Amino acid sequence: MIDSGLDRRDFLKVLGWGGAAAALSGCGNTSIEDGKETVVSYVEAADYAIPGIGVYYNSTCAQCDAGCSINGRVREGRVLKLEGNPASAINRGKTCGLGQAGVQHHYNPDRVREPMLRKGDKFETITWDKAYALIAEKLNGAKGEEVAFLSGGVSGHLKVLLGNYLASIGCKNHYVYEALAPAVARAANKKAYGIEMPRFNINKAKVVLSFGADFLGSWVSPVHFSQQYAQFRKGVDGQRGVLIQVESKMTLTGANADRWVPVRPGTEGILALGIINELGMASGDIAAAVKGYDRIRVSKETGVPPGQIDKIAALLKLRSPSLVLAGSAAEGYAHGSQNAAAINLLNHVLGNVGKTIEASSSVTFTQMAPAKGNTAALKSLNDGLAAGKYKVLFSYAANPVFTAPGALKFKDNLAKADFKVSFAHYLDETALQADLVLPLDSALEDWNTQVPEYMAEGAQINIQQPLMEKLHANTRGMGDILLALVKQRRAEEYKSFDDYYAYLRAAMLQNKGALGGGGADDDTFWNDTLTKGIVKLAGSSGALSGKASVVGLTLPAPSAADAQYPLHLIPGVTASLRDGRHANQPWLQESPDPLTTIVWDSWVEIHPKKAAELGIKEGDILEVTSRSGSIKAQAYLFPGIHPDAISVPLGRGHDALGRYAKGYGANPFQILDAVFDQETGELAMHETRVKVSKTGQCVIVVKDEGSAGGKQMGRKIAVSMSTDEVDLSKEV
Amino acid sequence: MRCLLSLFVLLMGLFATVNSYAADAPQPALTTEDSSGPQVVQPIEFPHDRHAGLRNPSDPTNSDPLKGGMEIDCMYCHTYARRSAVAGIPTLQKCIGCHQSIESVRNKPRIQELFKYWDAKKPVPWKKVHDMPDFVRFNHERHIKRFVEQQNRPTQEACGYCHGDVKQMTVARRSKGLTMGWCANCHQKDHPVTAAGGTPVGNQAYWYSFQKPVAGTAGGEVKAQDTNNIKAQGPNDCWQCHK
Amino acid sequence: MSVNNLLENWAQFRHFHPVDDKPHDPYKWAMSIDLDACTGCNACSVACYAENNLPVVGKEKYQHGHVMHWIRIERYWDESLGVAGGGDFPEQGAQFLPMMCQQCEAAPCETVCPAAATNHTADGLNSQIYNRCVGSRYCSANCPFKVRYFNWYDYPTTDNVWPAEMNQQLNPDVTVRSKGVMEKCTFCVQRLHAAKGTAKNEGRLVHDGDVQTACQQACPTSAITFGNLVDPESKVHKQWQSQQVELDKDAQVKDQKEGGSGLRGYRIFEELRPYPSVMYLERVRESAV
Repeated sequence: MIDSGLDRRDFLKVLGWGGAAAALSGCGNTSIEDGKETVVSYVEAADYAIPGIGVYYNSTCAQCDAGCSINGRVREGRVLKLEGNPASAINRGKTCGLGQAGVQHHYNPDRVREPMLRKGDKFETITWDKAYALIAEKLNGAKGEEVAFLSGGVSGHLKVLLGNYLASIGCKNHYVYEALAPAVARAANKKAYGIEMPRFNINKAKVVLSFGADFLGSWVSPVHFSQQYAQFRKGVDGQRGVLIQVESKMTLTGANADRWVPVRPGTEGILALGIINELGMASGDIAAAVKGYDRIRVSKETGVPPGQIDKIAALLKLRSPSLVLAGSAAEGYAHGSQNAAAINLLNHVLGNVGKTIEASSSVTFTQMAPAKGNTAALKSLNDGLAAGKYKVLFSYAANPVFTAPGALKFKDNLAKADFKVSFAHYLDETALQADLVLPLDSALEDWNTQVPEYMAEGAQINIQQPLMEKLHANTRGMGDILLALVKQRRAEEYKSFDDYYAYLRAAMLQNKGALGGGGADDDTFWNDTLTKGIVKLAGSSGALSGKASVVGLTLPAPSAADAQYPLHLIPGVTASLRDGRHANQPWLQESPDPLTTIVWDSWVEIHPKKAAELGIKEGDILEVTSRSGSIKAQAYLFPGIHPDAISVPLGRGHDALGRYAKGYGANPFQILDAVFDQETGELAMHETRVKVSKTGQCVIVVKDEGSAGGKQMGRKIAVSMSTDEVDLSKEV
Repeated sequence: MRCLLSLFVLLMGLFATVNSYAADAPQPALTTEDSSGPQVVQPIEFPHDRHAGLRNPSDPTNSDPLKGGMEIDCMYCHTYARRSAVAGIPTLQKCIGCHQSIESVRNKPRIQELFKYWDAKKPVPWKKVHDMPDFVRFNHERHIKRFVEQQNRPTQEACGYCHGDVKQMTVARRSKGLTMGWCANCHQKDHPVTAAGGTPVGNQAYWYSFQKPVAGTAGGEVKAQDTNNIKAQGPNDCWQCHK
Repeated sequence: MSVNNLLENWAQFRHFHPVDDKPHDPYKWAMSIDLDACTGCNACSVACYAENNLPVVGKEKYQHGHVMHWIRIERYWDESLGVAGGGDFPEQGAQFLPMMCQQCEAAPCETVCPAAATNHTADGLNSQIYNRCVGSRYCSANCPFKVRYFNWYDYPTTDNVWPAEMNQQLNPDVTVRSKGVMEKCTFCVQRLHAAKGTAKNEGRLVHDGDVQTACQQACPTSAITFGNLVDPESKVHKQWQSQQVELDKDAQVKDQKEGGSGLRGYRIFEELRPYPSVMYLERVRESAV
């Protein structure tokens, strides 16, 4: 039998598994794989570039604006993997999934590669010289006030250069729009603490009471907060930190809470005042202001049982310091600023200000500080466009055609601008509307400096440097483009800078002393800076100046039921897809949503009780209709949501962007009503009311969760114990 | 039943093939006429013999290429081999570094070709001669460390174990099998399995011997640095070489 | 060496109990995962995709169960949720569990492989040898953790898995698997090899901290600890020791204590005697709220 004459290869063939055999071409006469006959060889190579050995370069992650420092592994001239840079106080060597996917932004097959000019419904490829000439020509035909520049959050030298360019063309209309920026929180923090973004010391708190702040998922600086959270859980002297999360839709942070408190949408502020009342620690006008918020009334209005309010208050009283966070869920209402003010007041009453909330440092170069903005900025741009004010519109790092609330009709208004220039990585929804599309370098091939808004320790300027050669010959860095454009106006002033790199280097060297390089010669300082990827500064520390105040604090009664649109729509912000700009990175599409485990599609989260009431089962295609429009998505029965609300995640539902994004899911931005926070004028993201109806179609929900629906069926797989059963102080 | 039987036959066939890797067939026959690897046409016909070949004692100035080489150490050009799993190919700069000052051969066609690449700043598209399939992990560095640095053997001998007598070739050709059985043959010859079924201390053959290793079969105390090799759990550690 | 030898000796190599006569020395790779620190954020999983050349299979194949995530986050709800007598809301949040190959000491997958393609290494890893694998999938059927993933397709040539440019990101230290082979978490064996090579060149053993797995390196809360269990200086050793979890036990002594041990360490499906190399630390929930 041994001499049956069948060998392993035949074995494979017989069974039809030929694929594995393809990997075996190493046997026999040649071991060279077809199509891989040529050796990688170099003309010249630096001493440190050794084939087979990774070289690591420090840079800065550009997937979101938290400013995590990254360390890219480069082999044979290709960047393979991004790790965190341990020297950064922000992420201390760690990365999130979104950051990991940065390489897929760089290698994305759907990147724009050539400058393109609109010809009817199509684009045709043009040269950069032509593109620049065209911009110059169009600007010559427009007055400064007829030009607008829309950008995402920019910082560092790019922001400075952009400012100089806008000054050179006399444009004062720079609109900064980040769809998910915590704009209301900034304003509320400014009032309560005197600074927009103080430092939150989760690791020093014994109790964290978070009103919808998804600090482990997508809020402000999640990788940094995740590390603080790990310390907080280990606790001080073995006393583990306690996390209480109050929100209407469970976020990733809510899923990690010791107690998740579902609250009636919009009543977060009432609950905060109720807790202050229950604490009995306030005096004077604060005590007077909260007097009416007794536990019975608060319980009735918020839907939180009185016993729960008692327990929260008792724990906060017992364990100090604590930390109360006002997150985007609490602020997403027309009275969002009031909600946030009430929540921040809790910190004052509990004496947390100065302990777990501290003054943060900012870079002394204020012109480099990040430009901030949210929908209020977009709204005024939209109004201008609607009025036909703008002849030329630039857009960079923002995709408002996708992210603007449907009620603003942004796409229609955009058409009223004569000449639209889009600086783009992909042909996203906004770039598709442009007349001129200019292709950008990826963040892994471009030069930049970045200043994070949230500073973890001292202050820092992050260096972004190319990790490899450009993939495409005809893409340009945003800095290089701005430099070319500013030279059109101020050639003399900028003539000494051949490229943005030269500009950046000169600008950094000019301030060598202030950047900690005093005494070092230029090259040493510069090389050292690039090696580290971070310039750490003491920074100027702003003082906390806010006072506890109840002046102007009025919370409306819980909103009345809306007979026509009975449900609140909570747009879900997921850690990986955020506002959808990275939806064309397949790792993120295939990375299951942590809570529902759904991939590659949108879904409607609905509480099982509500679903039973409406006769909805998992996989039913639902039509979600608001006053501004409707979308369709599959139903997912989710226990972590208030029965009066449904949630649809943001980020999917693209009809452009690329092969991994287009056609997957639905875009809830489209059906958001134009309701704004009364104080700041920012979009009230959670104010949209909807109704759901079954379309009659049903699909199998594509998800990672098994048929047991998250039950362990009595097996000891994921095990929990309670704090009174465990002694953490002895742990390693 | 018939299906089951044929599956059994197939499985036995599988084991039979394992047998063919064994030491009694040290080098699978290469099917070219001269029992060597395929002729690879290189963009420049690089003469290894001229560079690495032995000097001709009767020609001290080395003026006649037909008579002798320069005895250049392999690792002068293949410099990555001692530092990386991958030996790589020398950079063009390395070739030019010498050749820009060797006027005597400056006008030879091959050198002119070389300078054409250099002037165009284009790498020479050298073709692979030796390569491993994607699922094999081979480390040049470890072999150089062992043979050249620790055992002080001549570089050309050490490299020659796998690459053959390159100093006699013009364009290099593969002259060894580079199959798994061929690798194992060498590893086992140097580290034979003892009669007790174990491997002598310090040797690494257990992963291919399919024998249970036994500690301390070489007699005497087991040294700490050797225990790695004698405490294997299974008959084989395929991950040593496969990835 | 010969087939006879193989057939004669095979049975004794198919060990059913770990270590006993052959203690791991100098390396036994092991992990501990703190479920109280794990937030379920999925960074580990994406990092694994980046490091180990995992294909993105797309929506349709995902639906067919062809996803290739070597490390996945499992999400569980409390057993009482939504049932009679239980609550309507997950008031203690969700429970997340990163699940990857547990590198069992007596691995159920190893004994059933007809091609000897999955074996135990001297370092206590469960190796998967792609070029030996014939794709019978017995191993996956026999794995109690369901962490083995089969290549139903030839992903390198499948549309939009690694299109031009995207394929430049592939890690050359890791094989790109072809159709018909099984694959699974390797504890980043390519990184272990590199670390061992460096250590060997320097004439020493791998120290704790020399090598991290991709998931461990990314994890924002440092929930994953990885290292050499037989190195008394390693953090993973200290954790296993302080949690009184022993590798070669199918029931831990501390678990027999009345009133609980106050320790959090446990291994999943220990009672099935696969002797997993991954220890989990139980999630903790506050009793005061």
